[in-house]
Formats: sequence, C-alpha cells, structure tokens
Amino acid sequence: MVQNAIEILRAHPLLLALIKILIVLLVLSGIVAYLVYMERKVLSFMQARLGPMRVGPWGLLQPVADGIKLLLKEDIIPAGADKFVFLLSPAISVMAAFTVFAVIPFAGNFFISDINIGLLFILGVSSLGIYGIILGGWSSNSHYPLLGAMRSAAQLVSYEVAAGVALVGVLLISNSLSMVDIVNRQQQMGVWNVFLQPVGFVIYLIAALAETNRNPFDLPEAESELTAGFHTEYSGFRFALYFLAEYTNMVVVSCIAVTMFLGGWLQPFVNVRALDFLRFTPIASLIGAAAFILWLGLKSLVPLERYFFIALALVCILLAGAVAVPAVLNAVQGIFWFSTKVLIFLYAFIWYRGTFPRYRYDQLMTVGWHWMVPIGLGNLIVTAVVRYLVSARA
Amino acid sequence: MGFSDLVRRVFLVDLIKGLKLTFSYQHPSASYTDQYPLERPVVAERYRGAPRLNNHPESGETLCIACNLCSIACPENLIVVGWARTEDRKKRLTIFTYDLSRCMFCGMCEDACPVDALELTQDFEIAQYSRQGMIWDRQALEEGPRPVRYTR
Repeated sequence: MVQNAIEILRAHPLLLALIKILIVLLVLSGIVAYLVYMERKVLSFMQARLGPMRVGPWGLLQPVADGIKLLLKEDIIPAGADKFVFLLSPAISVMAAFTVFAVIPFAGNFFISDINIGLLFILGVSSLGIYGIILGGWSSNSHYPLLGAMRSAAQLVSYEVAAGVALVGVLLISNSLSMVDIVNRQQQMGVWNVFLQPVGFVIYLIAALAETNRNPFDLPEAESELTAGFHTEYSGFRFALYFLAEYTNMVVVSCIAVTMFLGGWLQPFVNVRALDFLRFTPIASLIGAAAFILWLGLKSLVPLERYFFIALALVCILLAGAVAVPAVLNAVQGIFWFSTKVLIFLYAFIWYRGTFPRYRYDQLMTVGWHWMVPIGLGNLIVTAVVRYLVSARA
Repeated sequence: MGFSDLVRRVFLVDLIKGLKLTFSYQHPSASYTDQYPLERPVVAERYRGAPRLNNHPESGETLCIACNLCSIACPENLIVVGWARTEDRKKRLTIFTYDLSRCMFCGMCEDACPVDALELTQDFEIAQYSRQGMIWDRQALEEGPRPVRYTR
C-alpha cells in the first residue's frame, strides 16, 4: 500500500508538488488566521489588558468568528469605481504573497521547488504585490485610498532598494541565488550569515518592517490621517483578502530573513559538542507548552474550559512522546527550527507595533534614502572588497 | 553631539529601552482587566454604592427613628420619610422611599443619620429595567439589590 503510493508519487512528480502546495497553502492560511489572534493577544498583554476572551476558551475561536463575519458581510463596490480593477486587485495582492512560498525551503527535506534564481523570483513576485495595493487604491475612486496607495507605493519602492542591497551582501558570500544553496552554504561555513553581515541584517530588518507596512512605518494605513489607507472602500471578503495578503507578507518577509541570515532550517550551534542537547528542544518545547496550557487551564474560571485545556495539554504531551522517537526527532528537526525562528520574527513584528510610534512621512523617506540606502551600499562595497581579497588569497 | 550620544543613537539604545518596557508589561500581574461576570471586582472599603436601611441585628426591627434628617440633608431631595405617632407619642416609621435615579451618591444622608440606619453599601449592581424600578421603597432598601449571579 505505502510502497504503491510512493511509486505513484515517483512516477508523477507533479502530483507530489501538488500535495506539497496543498499542505503549505492550508497550513499557511491557518497560521495567518492565528497570527491575527496572536497579534491581538500580544498587543493587549503589552497594553495591560486581556484581548479576545469570549469566543471559545481564551478567545481561541476568535479568528473563525472573524472569518465567518467577513464572509457574511455585504460586498460593497463604490459608485464610480473601476469595477474590473477593483475586483482584481485584492486577488493580485494575495497571489503575489502566496506565490513566494513556492521557493522557500521550510526544511532540508521539505520545499516545493528549488530553482536556481530563487531569491530573484522572490523579490520579483513580492514586488508585484504593490500592483494590488496601488490598483486597489486607484480604482476605489476615493481620496483616502488613493493617498494611501500613493504612500504605500512610494514607501515600498524606496525600501525595496535598501532590502535588495542588504540581500546582495548575502549573495556575495553564498555565491548562489538558490534558497536551498544559501542555507547549505551556511552549514558548510559553520556560521550563519547574520554574523558575517550584521549591518545587512539590521537594514533588511528595518526595510522588511517598511515593506510590510507595519509599525513604525505603517503610514499607508495611518488611521488618524487616512482612515484605513488603500483598502478603505473594501468590505467583506475582499477586505479579508487584503488582510490575508498583509499578514502573509509578514510571514514571507520573516521566512526570507530566516533563510538568508539565520541559517534557515539549521539547528543553532551544530558544531559545538557541548550544545548537542539542543537536538531535544522540540520535545522540551512541547512539554513546556503542555505545562503552560495546564497552568492556563487551572487559572481558567469556566469549568468547561478547564477540561479543554487539560485535554490540550495531554495532546501536547502525547505529541512530545511521538517526537521523542529518534527517527521522528530527526525528521522534525528542520521544520521545528525554521518555524521557531519565523515565530520569533513574527513576535518581534508585533512587539515593535506595541512599542514604537509612527514616523512622519518625511522622516520615513529620510530614514530610507539618507540612511538605509547609503549604509547598505557601503556594506555592499566593503563585503565585495573583502570577498575579493579572501578569494584572491585562496 | 558627544561620543556616548552617538553610540546611543547608532545602536538604537532608546528603542531597545522601550522594547524592554513593553516586554515587561506582558506579565500576567500587569493586567488590569477583571473578567466581570466571571470574577467580581474588589470594591474599595469606602465606596458609596446602593443605599441600605439597616435593621437591628437581633430584634429585626428597623433602626430608623423617622427623624427626617436624611431627607433634609439630601441635596437632591430624593428621600421621602413618612411616620405616624404611636399611643405613647413615639414616632414610628411608615414609609421610606429613595429615588436612586436622581442619587449622586454624595453620602450626605449617611452622614446625617444619627443612628446609622441609612448606609451606602459597596453593592454596585443597581441597574433596573424601568425608571419606576429605580425608586426603592422600604422593603427594597432593607433587602438591598439582588443581581442575577452569572453562572456557566
């Protein structure tokens, strides 16, 4: 039975890719939905409140409720809107955001495809997302969306330069555009690119914040000035699509940063013997999660929720037991480290939002053109020279 | 711009300080939210809430001597005290109404009462379905508010 299935998959590589795409798409949609939940929770904890608590235990079903609400809402198309473009642009945004995952290596043994121009593909496709924003803003036939779209486009274009320049530094070191090769190269060198390119990493981090329109660079949707920016006129399902695209972009940017700078699926300190116990982090984190859930459940005021949390903790412990099998432990190693790193990035995004005030528009442009781009170029030149000297000596 | 100032700006020290502060706020003890129907807030000892007409703890008779001082003290004139004389010419309380819809919980009536019969308690759930319900008679004042307790 299993043999048969494997043979069929061998014979039809397209089928295997299709299955992988389905897995990635479904898991990502779930992650994005719960990213919104995580954002609301973390933000509210930082603001000394509790966040969603009423829908399901600890508000866990809030994303589902939000989704249903958005689907059931009236789909309004403003009078005088360019209807075709208005309907098309949210789809452009979402497609551009999701297509990028085709070349992102989630683990050494799990990626949809590995093409030799991976990074170029990512930069190209994710830049297409701007069309979704600017067309949506323009076709709404309204002031706020137009202004928001203009700002968004200007911001994205100017920070794309800085991000690109920061990434080129990594390319010089790893000698390849393929995402898998870049991670493998970091494994060979025994050092993550973040230690070779700290300046590039910081620049990419800041540019990534600006590119995803997140705080402190969320001028395109500055509520106090522009109501909601480019998606002011959108409602219902189309608004949900924009929302999805925005949060998917957050995941995309984190994935790129992790792959390029933080060793992708690699376990930290693989070469250090004394830190070999880090292999068991998946088990430890699952048990930790179980303990946390149990603590939460015991604090819960509703008896029914208490049972739910205890059951959830049991599931976590069972999973930990399953992961403890050596073969499984080796298999999940890559995906575990990759997702942990991405999660830290996503948390940091929310953390920045809870901390920093918004930049003024001219400050944003000053930071972009007067600081990010020149520093990035300087970093690039220094990297190139050092790289040349090292390779000339070798 | 001095050297230390330069270092502070290059390494974004101020931003990191801010991040540290918001991170510390995530501690569960930093939360101010009470999950009200599930858990009840702790009301301050000197909080002035729903009024109550006290009875003698042993005999169960009202402590009120119908002196009318609370009614006079009230800035909103919302207390009406009615009495009748008994055979030995003593004042006896007949009616006592208290219009909560006009009350501003200043506590003057409580201060004026010479026998600690009228008291503003810590009960805060005094919402009613009608304006008429906001006018409490003697029985309501003696019993106090009876909110529906939330259970699930």
